[in-house]
Amino acid sequence: MHELPLEGIRVADFCHVWAGPHVTQWLAVMGAEVIKIESHLRPDLTRSFFAGGKTLMPGLNQSVDFAVLNYSKKGCTINMTLPRGIELAKEIISLSDVVTENFGGPVMDRWGLGYPDLKKLRGDIILYSGSGFGRTGPYKESPAYAPIIDAFAGLTSLNGYSGGEPCPFGVGGWTDLTAAQHGAFAILAALHHRYRTGEGQHIDLSMSEVDCAFLPDAVMDYTMNDRVQRPQGNRDIAMAPHGCYRCQGEDNWVTIAVSTDEEWKAFCNAVGNPEWANDERFRDGPSRWRNQDELDQLIQGWTRNHTDWQAAGLLQEAGVMAGPSLSPQAVVQDRHLAEREFFFDMEHPEMGTVRLPRLPLNMNHSPFGKYEHAPSIGEHNDYVFRELLKMAEEEIAQLQEEQVIF
Amino acid sequence: MSGQALSGLKVVEWSDFVSGPYCGKLLADLGAEVIKVERPGTGDKARSYGPFPQDIPHPEKSGLFLYLNTNKLGVTLDVRTATGAQILSKLVEQADVLVENNPPREVEELGFAYKRLSEINPRLVMASITPFGQTGPYRDYRSCDLISFNASGLAFVNPSDGVEDPEGQPPLKGPGHQGDFVAGLSGAVATMAAVLTSRVTGSGQHVDVSEQEALASIMRSYLGLHAIEAMTWKRLKGSIPGMVSDKYHCADGMVYLLCGQDRFWAQWMKAMGDPDWAQNELFQDRISRRENWDAAKAMIEEWTRERTVEEVVRTADASRVPCRPINTVKALANSELAAARDYFVDVDHKEAGTVKYPVGPFKLSQTPWRVQRPAPLLGEHNEEVYCNRLGYTRQELTVMRAGGVI
Repeated sequence: MHELPLEGIRVADFCHVWAGPHVTQWLAVMGAEVIKIESHLRPDLTRSFFAGGKTLMPGLNQSVDFAVLNYSKKGCTINMTLPRGIELAKEIISLSDVVTENFGGPVMDRWGLGYPDLKKLRGDIILYSGSGFGRTGPYKESPAYAPIIDAFAGLTSLNGYSGGEPCPFGVGGWTDLTAAQHGAFAILAALHHRYRTGEGQHIDLSMSEVDCAFLPDAVMDYTMNDRVQRPQGNRDIAMAPHGCYRCQGEDNWVTIAVSTDEEWKAFCNAVGNPEWANDERFRDGPSRWRNQDELDQLIQGWTRNHTDWQAAGLLQEAGVMAGPSLSPQAVVQDRHLAEREFFFDMEHPEMGTVRLPRLPLNMNHSPFGKYEHAPSIGEHNDYVFRELLKMAEEEIAQLQEEQVIF
Repeated sequence: MSGQALSGLKVVEWSDFVSGPYCGKLLADLGAEVIKVERPGTGDKARSYGPFPQDIPHPEKSGLFLYLNTNKLGVTLDVRTATGAQILSKLVEQADVLVENNPPREVEELGFAYKRLSEINPRLVMASITPFGQTGPYRDYRSCDLISFNASGLAFVNPSDGVEDPEGQPPLKGPGHQGDFVAGLSGAVATMAAVLTSRVTGSGQHVDVSEQEALASIMRSYLGLHAIEAMTWKRLKGSIPGMVSDKYHCADGMVYLLCGQDRFWAQWMKAMGDPDWAQNELFQDRISRRENWDAAKAMIEEWTRERTVEEVVRTADASRVPCRPINTVKALANSELAAARDYFVDVDHKEAGTVKYPVGPFKLSQTPWRVQRPAPLLGEHNEEVYCNRLGYTRQELTVMRAGGVI
């Protein structure tokens, strides 16, 4: 038995770049029919990012970035600058349960596709609007660039090495993707509500608020104590040692975290220095925390003689929290992720076989969901216009001629 | 308005610290009934983590705990006793969802494997949120935010613009508990997928969330690229194509400003009064600019250093160049946007008093996010849950309390 939760749910998807497409990617993998609406006038920007394997831009269908954010969706092309294009979009929306968009401003309103308009097309419609700073308020027309949002929302001010400057956080798309998952959750909750009551709604998600939701310690240290936190590097407010230590080999590192005295004793035994456990400087948690500069030196003296996996394996064996710091290429090769089938090979009509990461969605010890290749631009025009909208061949040809279907 | 989006959903949260509790919070804040099960005595680890008002530790005043457990009922239970195990089984029998984040081996040893629970309650959705998931060679590895963040590849690419000294500056974890939050978030999305599936099939599933995968999924663009091309990620600043530094010192702080793209570059040069240096051929196209970014950035920074953050942001806004201050949490909390969008909500709690918490990061028009009750005191709802719902007498409650069961 493998029934998908969103089978029978249709999504009219106006999302682009990272934050929006990742929302509808979750819905598509869960079985929804996601119809991505683009046009040759405005193809999704990621279609021209990171073209895989070639030096030159090989058209619009060979971007890894697009493939990794848009699998399992269908694609059609509508020229939304023409009134007839907007009419076509409305026809798709009338047959949809959910509409999604993440424009850098009130584009939907300009098209006459704001929430009140959509409600007239379909009373129980769920509209998802993702943005950098919200669909209301002083920045409602600001485009959503994750590093700009992270800077504004306080995340950047907390990211960095102890005593150093704030640094832009992690992968470029971090906040795009964390926001997208919140968006997917909100849509699923709205669907749950609609099943029970028949009522749709408008979801307004702001990426900067997502950053805040993940920073309660810093926010509440301010609201309780008026304290402004700064970057802490890899250190923890309670645990010591707690860091990332240099190992043998090029840019090879291991992380180690010790939370109790028992773990500390186990650590000392595992590294062959049981006498460290009796050292006054490291006797208990507070002492270790106070003297962690010296402690880190000692530990790095040991880790330098081991590879990341040797050190991590030895420490885990002893019940101590430890692990390698994997580079992107090491993640791709990781045997644990391989055994869990986190990466899978997808046949793509233009790119051939591409290895892509799944969503973190597993049920009953197996990957869960529908995985199909990301649509080439306009790949499902025939399905959308002929089968779904039941348009005649001549009318479709006419609209192509007029560059409405474009 | 007809209740909340998840009204009627019954959840038992047998979870500690951040990942499971954030999953429970997402559900509770949209109206699910969440019964949080804590160990007697010390309770959830987040109770001892802080931040605390005036830095005085108190189990009912930890900011992290208060934030993560809004809208939940709280009971104490030692599931390692026979009676405790029996009570947890009874709670699970009546629930739609069990959210747990305990070591897989421990869950099995205590008799709470999904297989057994599904016999008690075939409709049960059991969400297990653990560092490495329920299968694979690292299944039983012990972990915390630091270890998981590094095992996903995210620390290796943080900061996003690289480091000056790759020998002295290790891979960097995100501030606070970013990894644990993401695991809880992915858990909530996957839980909703299973809840909606059971609506159709009438049977539950075992949701298996691996924090390593949840975080690696955020890296999907980089991983897709690395899976296709043989690449080696270098952490040295300037060695990653496209990863340029976009933060600028001003007279009184710092801003993040994106002007590398052709359009923004032209607009920004104009905003700075078309300086002579910008005519240099090194800066004429995007590729060449990127190669000579340090020089360009130095020139721009000369200009920003003579101006306040407010002036730079105002100039950028007027010329439609993406730019925001690198705010501290304090600056964010006091911003016009935070006020206009209600970023923070006052929550009144018996012991901790009234404090501002971050709000939910999505606004649902018909079923708004809201705090109906503050985080529970340790064991606050023992009587309500054990007597009123499970039918134990007060006398039995006293016996269980004396025996350390609750």
